[in-house]
Amino acid sequence: MIKTWELDPNFKNEILNELGGENLTACYQCSTCTLGCPITELVPSYNPRKIIQMSLLGMRTEVLSNPDLWICAICQTCTARCPQNVVVGDVLAVIRLLAEKAEEAGEIKIESPRPLFETAFLHTVEKYGRLYDIGLAMEYYPKREGSFIKGQKAMMDDYMAFGMRMFFKGKMGPLGGHGLLKGVLPSKIKQRDVMKKIFKWVEEKEKER
Amino acid sequence: MSVEKLAYLPGCPSEATALEQHMSTEAVFEKLGVELVELEEWNCCGAAEAEDQNLVYALNARNLAIAEKDNLDIMTPCSICYYNLARTNNALKANEELRAEIKGIDPSLEYNGTITPKHVIDVLVNDIGLEEIKSKLVKKVELKVAPYYGCYLGRPPETAFDDPDDPVLMDQLIELIGGENVPFSAMKTKCCGGPLMMTRGDLAFEMARKILETAKNAGADCIALACPLCGMMLDAKQPDVEKALNVKFEMPIVYITQLLGLALGIDSSKLGLQKNVVDTKKILGKVV
Repeated sequence: MIKTWELDPNFKNEILNELGGENLTACYQCSTCTLGCPITELVPSYNPRKIIQMSLLGMRTEVLSNPDLWICAICQTCTARCPQNVVVGDVLAVIRLLAEKAEEAGEIKIESPRPLFETAFLHTVEKYGRLYDIGLAMEYYPKREGSFIKGQKAMMDDYMAFGMRMFFKGKMGPLGGHGLLKGVLPSKIKQRDVMKKIFKWVEEKEKER
Repeated sequence: MSVEKLAYLPGCPSEATALEQHMSTEAVFEKLGVELVELEEWNCCGAAEAEDQNLVYALNARNLAIAEKDNLDIMTPCSICYYNLARTNNALKANEELRAEIKGIDPSLEYNGTITPKHVIDVLVNDIGLEEIKSKLVKKVELKVAPYYGCYLGRPPETAFDDPDDPVLMDQLIELIGGENVPFSAMKTKCCGGPLMMTRGDLAFEMARKILETAKNAGADCIALACPLCGMMLDAKQPDVEKALNVKFEMPIVYITQLLGLALGIDSSKLGLQKNVVDTKKILGKVV
C-alpha cells in the first residue's frame, strides 16, 4: 500500500539532477528493462521497472533501502533495450549513490556488502593509480565479516584455490618470469598525487549534492 | 590498411590475471605491423566499481590526455576500459565546461577530444580489416568456437560498435581463421556475472554456469572472448564454479587475440596459451 502522505515528491528530482539520471521521467512502464534482465531471470523479485516507478512516485525510503539495488550486474542490457532512452543502468547507479549518502546520514541501513567492495576497490586505485587485487581483498573481507580473523578465513575460502592457480600459471609470483613478486605487490604509477586530487575533487562534488 | 600506430591501454588485469590477453594482443599487433605504444603511466579506468560518473570522467580523462599528447587513437583489449574511455570521450567532447572543470583538477587531465578510443576487436575488423588480416594468415584454426562478447561491445548504444543482440565481429574473425562458430546467439551478450563475483558469488556462478553449459551443449571446443573480467569469471574461476555447482565443464577459454595469433603462426607460448587456467593443449592440436 502506498501512503501518499509519506511520499517525497522531490525524490525524482534528486535522480534527475545527477549525471545519468536525466531521462528518468520518460519511462512509460513497459517493463522491457526487466524482461531482458539476466538478474531478474535468477531473482524474480528483482524489478528495475518497479524501482523506477517507485522513484517517480516519491517512495524514497522504500527505494533507497531496497536490497535488490545491490544485485544489478551493470551489464547495461536494460539501457540498450529501453525504447524511451532512459539510461536505466545509470539511473540505478545514481540511486545506489543516493542510498550510500542516505546511509551516511543515518536514514537507512544497507545490508549488502557491495558498497564496502566498491570502496575497497577504489581505495587501491586512489592509493596506487591501478587496481591492486590483494589490497582490495585485504580491506574488503575483514570489513564484510566484521573482524580480521573472520575476514581472513572468508578470503581463504573464496580465493585460496584461485590464488594457487594464479601462482602456478605464473600470473602472480615468480613462475611467469616477470619478476619475483609480480601481481603480489601493487603496481604503482608515479603520478599518484594526481589520483589523490581526482578523488578529492569527486568528494567535493559529492558534498555539493 | 589505415592504421599504423596506436596508443595502447592494457588495463589492470593485464599485469596479472589476464597476462595472456596482454601478451597475445602485443604479439598479434606486432605481426600485423601495427605499432602499439603503451600509454606511459596509465591508470585504472574505475571499472564497474566507479559508480560516480564524475570519477569515471576524471580517471579516464587522464588516460585520454596521455594518448592525445602523442596524437594517437587509444586502443584497449579490456571491454570495461573501452566503455569507460568511450563514454568519457563522448561526455568531454560534448561539454566544454566539464572539460575545463576536469582540467582544473590537474593540468595533466587536459583533454581536448581530438582522439578516438577503440576496442581491439573494432580495430582488427573495422580498421585493419579482414582482407588485410587474411593476407597474413599461415595456419588454420579448425576449432568449433563459442563466440562470447559479454557486455560492453554492443551496449550501451552510446558507445557500442557491434549489434546489441547478435554481434558479429568476433564471429567474422573466427570464420576467417578457419574456425566454426557454434550456435551461441542466446548467450553471446549475456553478462558473465563478473561484477557480482565478490558480493553475490552465488549469482555470479549461476550466470557463468549458463554460459559454460550452453557452449558445452553446443559442442564447442572452446569459448573465445574479449574481456579480462569475463576471462577471470569463465576461465580462472571455472574450477570454483564446477566445485560449487557440482558440474564438470573443462571448457577451454581463450582470448580472441590468442586464436588469431595461432592463425598468424605465432608461437603458442608467446600468446600465453600456457597461462589459461583450463588446459588449452587439446585445442592446439587442431591448429594446422
